[in-house]
Amino acid sequence: MVLLSRIWAFVARDWLVTVSYRMQFFLRVLSVLIAVTTLFFISKIFVGFTDVRFAEWRDPLAAWLTGLAVLNYFMTGFSSLANAIRQEQMQGTLESVLMTPISVPTVVVASSAWDFVEATFFSLLYLIFGWLFFDVHYRGSALLALVFLLLTTLVLSCLGILSASFAMVFKRGDPFGILLGTGSALFSGVFFPTQLINQHAGSGVASISKILPPTYGLDGIRRVLIEGQGFSQVHEPFVTLLAFLAVLLPFSLWVFGRAVRRAKREGSLIQY
Amino acid sequence: MSEFSEDRSITVSIDHLSKTYPVPFLRLKKFFRRKFKPPVEALRDVSFQIHEGEIFGLIGPNGAGKTTLTKIIATLIQPTSGEVAVRGNDTVRDDAQVRRDIGLASAEERSFYWRLTAEQNLLFFARLYGLSGPEAKRRIKTSFEMFELEELARRRFAELSTGNKQRLAVARAMLAKPPVLLLDEPTRSLDPIAAARLRSTISSLARAGDSRVTIFLTSHNLAEVEELCDRVAIIGKGQIRALDTPHNLRATHTRNEEVSIIFSPDVADSVNLALRQTFTDQSFTLERASHDQRWLLKFSREAEDKTLDKVLSVLHQSRAIVRTIETKRATLLEVLEQYDESERDTRGRRN
Repeated sequence: MVLLSRIWAFVARDWLVTVSYRMQFFLRVLSVLIAVTTLFFISKIFVGFTDVRFAEWRDPLAAWLTGLAVLNYFMTGFSSLANAIRQEQMQGTLESVLMTPISVPTVVVASSAWDFVEATFFSLLYLIFGWLFFDVHYRGSALLALVFLLLTTLVLSCLGILSASFAMVFKRGDPFGILLGTGSALFSGVFFPTQLINQHAGSGVASISKILPPTYGLDGIRRVLIEGQGFSQVHEPFVTLLAFLAVLLPFSLWVFGRAVRRAKREGSLIQY
Repeated sequence: MSEFSEDRSITVSIDHLSKTYPVPFLRLKKFFRRKFKPPVEALRDVSFQIHEGEIFGLIGPNGAGKTTLTKIIATLIQPTSGEVAVRGNDTVRDDAQVRRDIGLASAEERSFYWRLTAEQNLLFFARLYGLSGPEAKRRIKTSFEMFELEELARRRFAELSTGNKQRLAVARAMLAKPPVLLLDEPTRSLDPIAAARLRSTISSLARAGDSRVTIFLTSHNLAEVEELCDRVAIIGKGQIRALDTPHNLRATHTRNEEVSIIFSPDVADSVNLALRQTFTDQSFTLERASHDQRWLLKFSREAEDKTLDKVLSVLHQSRAIVRTIETKRATLLEVLEQYDESERDTRGRRN
């Protein structure tokens, strides 16, 4: 209960900061609408050209919008934890927050809560604009898609915790951000089927997509939302994501604990 | 000063505390044979205790270890060795409980959210302290009244003056009514009137009946430390050089005091002659104090010896009428300067 009220405090704070920049908010909504419209026109080039092997890509616009919506959420899960610490460090507010009876892990989780609220809104906006203006239809279980979304976000949050640990000790130059940020868009099937990598770049390069959790998350969500598949058909990516979580969660928490202790010993917790 | 007594329970206990900032990635640097600066020893075997309701001052030059010590008490930095306990709780093992018991107000302006109003800022921190909505609002209202910030509650933090930002920082530190308050230069940016008011508030917090607050104060304003603190520690190069009441520190370190006597009428010649006859190894300065036949006599004496009595007797015999007598002991600044000089001498000898 106390944890929830503290998370609420951070969400309320960030909401107030966000609404103090109204113009930025409306411009972001507009940019999503422009991106969806642009993708609609590009998708028209591919009408009737879809390879039968890629059932999820029969309607490229639906595949892209799902990809972008989900990628937006995944990247938040991955990057917001490190960003939360970094932003508080740079603003100079981390010291005053850490002076309250709140643990460092709680600060990290609660500081990123608003990012998830915002990501949910903008991810939904991709899907809503597609449905509202461009006749994109989704079928299948929304609940199952949501389970996939949460599971993948949790796995990426573990990487986010590793990233936050890195930010706490090294301050900048986070390798997880660079690798996952650029890697996910290229190797996880956001804009094109991952099978094409194997076809054109060989199995060595294609194996990169297999070690990226977003690949499995996106695959599962697309199969549920676009093809309407049930749990028995998507259990394979689901189990793979669970395996990622089982390994990454304890490891990332262990690394994070060590990073906090190290930063406190060095007296660099609030430096950036 | 508050009514301090050493019989009161110990609130903050610092026991053989040392802090050496480690060299980051030392093993890696050694492996690659990279040059590295030696570790910085910020605190060395510091021990003292602060009692309930005491206002305890810490003074020292820049880089002496004041901030490190404050941050260790505030649980933001871990010591290398030794222990710090706040109300019996260790700052490393029971850090969450220690943070419930302390409030920190620093002169750092960036510790607030500039886009939020003063009230929104305090509400956020009140929620982090676990205060419920109505309770938080009540406390914020009381804090605004106490620090005369009511009219600024709805102003964005960015729009507040530096002095008001400083007052808001102290108000925030007091929000959860912590029994221990850490104040890092609380009046640094305040105008003299606002500073005096804040000093009065600080003083009253330590005297507030059953809910006395223990205050740990660092400041470069030595007059403020003298006015407020029950005891003062002088820190230099990470070590406590002296710890006592401001009065005792001055008395211990400078036994002499300067005496200035203004007398009239114009009997300077006879006074001068009588002084020479009475005192053989004491020097005096005698100069005209004003145009209306008043004279200023200056001399130094060891505190509470009989020189002053003898001088008054000489003046009386010379038919002088004493108008004012002033005695001036060394200030904490002079005490601090003395330590600073001795440190520089030691360093000079070592080099």
